[in-house]
Amino acid sequence: MDQFLQALINGIMLGGFYSVMVLGFSVIWGVMGVINLAHGEFVMVGAYITWVLNKQYGWEPFTALVVVMPSMFILGYILQKILINQLVERPHLISLLVTFGLGIIMSNTVKLIYEATPRIAETAFSGFWRVGGVTFPITKTYILVAALIIMIGLYLFLQYTRMGKSIRAAAQNKEAARMVGIEIGQVYALTFGICIALTGTAGMLVSPTQAIFPFMGPPLTLKAFAITAMSGLGSIPGALMGGMVLGLVEVFIGTYVPNIGTNLGIISSFIILVVVLITRPQGLFGGLKPATEVA
Amino acid sequence: MLTTAAHTWQRYGLGRWAFLVLVLLLLLYPVPYLLDNDSDFVNPSRLLSFTQMFMLITLASNWNLTGGFTGYVDFGHAVFFGLGAYGTGVLMNKLAWSFWPAMLVGALVAVAFALLIGFPTLRLKGPYFSIAMLGTFVAMREVIRVAAPLTGGGQGLTLPPYLNRPLFYYLTLALALIVILLIRFIRSTEFGASLVAIREDEVGAEMRGVNTTLHKITAFWIAAFFTGLVGGMWAYQNTFIDPDVVFFDSRTVELVMMTMLGGLGTVAGPVIGAATIYWLRDVLWANLLQYHLIAQGALLIIIVLFLPEGILGTLGDRSATSLGRLWRKWFRRDAQEAGT
Repeated sequence: MDQFLQALINGIMLGGFYSVMVLGFSVIWGVMGVINLAHGEFVMVGAYITWVLNKQYGWEPFTALVVVMPSMFILGYILQKILINQLVERPHLISLLVTFGLGIIMSNTVKLIYEATPRIAETAFSGFWRVGGVTFPITKTYILVAALIIMIGLYLFLQYTRMGKSIRAAAQNKEAARMVGIEIGQVYALTFGICIALTGTAGMLVSPTQAIFPFMGPPLTLKAFAITAMSGLGSIPGALMGGMVLGLVEVFIGTYVPNIGTNLGIISSFIILVVVLITRPQGLFGGLKPATEVA
Repeated sequence: MLTTAAHTWQRYGLGRWAFLVLVLLLLLYPVPYLLDNDSDFVNPSRLLSFTQMFMLITLASNWNLTGGFTGYVDFGHAVFFGLGAYGTGVLMNKLAWSFWPAMLVGALVAVAFALLIGFPTLRLKGPYFSIAMLGTFVAMREVIRVAAPLTGGGQGLTLPPYLNRPLFYYLTLALALIVILLIRFIRSTEFGASLVAIREDEVGAEMRGVNTTLHKITAFWIAAFFTGLVGGMWAYQNTFIDPDVVFFDSRTVELVMMTMLGGLGTVAGPVIGAATIYWLRDVLWANLLQYHLIAQGALLIIIVLFLPEGILGTLGDRSATSLGRLWRKWFRRDAQEAGT
């Protein structure tokens, strides 16, 4: 029973990271129609900024937020203006390849500067809370709380602010949005900036709990795709649920399948991805647009 | 003189580009013997370099069959390369088979997997197909890593060393020639035309009586077969395989880049693209050393954004990009006057 509860808690905590990680990917796809294959690399860059601040200046990983968010926002904003804007409304092959190329550039630049050695940020909150036979790792608990706060914040932003409404309008009908005076180019650039800032924050959250290395990106991108395929484009409750499902599946397989469980857990997300795409190409809850409309 | 010869060939059904490629490859044929001054000793690194180029030409041509002609952009095509390599490796290492049957069975393993995965994934459209194949590729790497008793896991497998480099040179040259001619032939048949029709308008093709599923899966397994063969050759030549080397992340994207540079959906495009990228890498990137992967990413972005029709498409009469129009304006007065 304790083992089951422990797996449940670990799964939920991993799921919290996954769901905050997927937000940027899913919103960019939903609003701009661009599938960002460099997504995992943005997580990696956020994690490295945190690690550098932690290692060289002794910052607590969570306080790195004040640097990670603005710098990633600016990075995203500039990238959208000079590069990603060229991809909107062009065939998917183009955006897939360009973002893939961007990912290669990012991971290899980081490798050049900081080597390929796996790193981990050190935090003061490294202990455990014990409740009965179950342990709550303190860092991961804070990560889960932070993830929930970020998700609620993004939801409120999209739902109630003027900017958020413009973003949703642009996602629903671009022409109509333009007609009522929304500057699409500006909205896209801000959306990309915000999404990259959130993605970098996900990197900040993961840096004290998992080893970070320059080539950690591609599996994360695929996981983001798997979650989006389950949850639908730009849906925040969907992202939360999809992230939880993936986190729980990975942890439970890792816990209950002997020997090869850990590796099988890694594969599970790709199998989920392929199976969901094959069986429900419109997304598990119909959130993905039909392929003809997207392509 | 070349053009007249080309026309003669065209009359016999081979086509201009196939002819040019044939000439190009035949010209390269004696090169290994010319590279070194000691007449009875061939420069081994040069030979290896050509061998790899022929492999890339074969791989890119086969990727082009599904990605270029049929329009199903496969981001995990290297999974067949990996299966071919591991099929060959396991048979030679664990069962002590000799190379030729092992390579053939390795390629058949790739075909079997193509049939298995092709039926469900080829129903997906656009980016969903691409990503499903990318997921398949990454999953297969982990499966190979987990199946350690058979595949050696992360430790990898060692194949019996066999350092006959000229053999691999001629083998890969022959395979490249066969594949180019086969694809040229496929393009001229009704089957090839159906593939292009699927790319242009799948529903329309279906309504006109094209069995789209059958055509797609056929193109898919043919491509998988030759990719698997190359994988087997690569494994034997390299004498060592492990999951990270064989299932190298950007291998497929390299193929896509080559095909796009030459011209997506043309017979000669992948050949020209692979040769160009190969020489760029040899000549230019050797000086960039640790920057070469960054340069590769940048090159990919530049090709995709500024040369989406590839070299052949941009130089052709129907180019729609500004670069292509400039080319017509300055160098192809005749084509412009003809009103094309």
